[in-house]
Amino acid sequence: MKDSCSVVSRLLEKYFDREMTDEERSLVEAHLLDCQACQDRLRSMEELRDLVKAPVEEAVQNEDFQWIWQKIERGIRLEERHTFWETLQAWLQISPLFQRKVWIPAVAAMTIILLITIPLFFKKTPSLLDQSVIEYVESQTHNVMIYESENKKVTVIWLFEGPAEETPSS
Amino acid sequence: MRKIISLTTFFLILLIPISVAFAQVQTRIRVIEASNVGSSIDPSLRDVQSELKSLSNFTSYRLLKDENLSLSLNRAVDIPVHKGRSLEITLISQRKDMAECRVKIKSEGTDILNTQVRLFSGRTVLIVGPKHGEGLAIIALSARF
Repeated sequence: MKDSCSVVSRLLEKYFDREMTDEERSLVEAHLLDCQACQDRLRSMEELRDLVKAPVEEAVQNEDFQWIWQKIERGIRLEERHTFWETLQAWLQISPLFQRKVWIPAVAAMTIILLITIPLFFKKTPSLLDQSVIEYVESQTHNVMIYESENKKVTVIWLFEGPAEETPSS
Repeated sequence: MRKIISLTTFFLILLIPISVAFAQVQTRIRVIEASNVGSSIDPSLRDVQSELKSLSNFTSYRLLKDENLSLSLNRAVDIPVHKGRSLEITLISQRKDMAECRVKIKSEGTDILNTQVRLFSGRTVLIVGPKHGEGLAIIALSARF
């Protein structure tokens, strides 16, 4: 009986937690019918469980699991968020196109070309109306008169031979 | 190394249309005869109509020639304009919105005008005269960018 008790006492916790095979359970239950000591141990376990169960259940009811889950979710999101530079690096590592070093001089050349050409396109020039249209004018055979219309959209170079010829009316 | 050369060539080819676009200028040359025969102004002279009217007392402005020339740098283009006269125009330099041209008017082989003008977008240069018979020849120069 003593040998049987020592065997069953090892199985008693498993029996209490219902984690045993049918064969083991039959063995324990058969032993419990005749062994007062093992019955007492099992009862102590049940009393201890009852003592612990009530405050734990009360604590669980009072706990705000929604709030805890929100905190966990926020933590997961923060862990997943990468900086722009990390994202770029990851993308460059993934993309086989940029793993080729041949792109480095090509991109450098393109950058230089853009740096040279872009200022040409955006170069500010003086207003057209402020710029002179006639650089020079000469005539060996005729008199020359130059004038501009009031809106400066038309510049006139007038060739005439002398006072007798047709001259501007205005 | 071959790839570097190919890529550089590729980018240079991309730039060719830009450089070609800058190498030529579209110039419009109109030859107008001002006279007192009739009293009409050609509809295609609407942009310079008020200036033409203010030039003299002529009543009629007839468009004799309207040519669009594509000027290349330092290449002289010679076109006959009116009764023994010709115009020689050469693109000397250009910018995004300006073309500088040397213009010569010749009459029977003699230079009667030698000038250098800057043609801007939306602006016109009129070369008026000399008087020819009872009328007046006017050359209108403009450029498109």
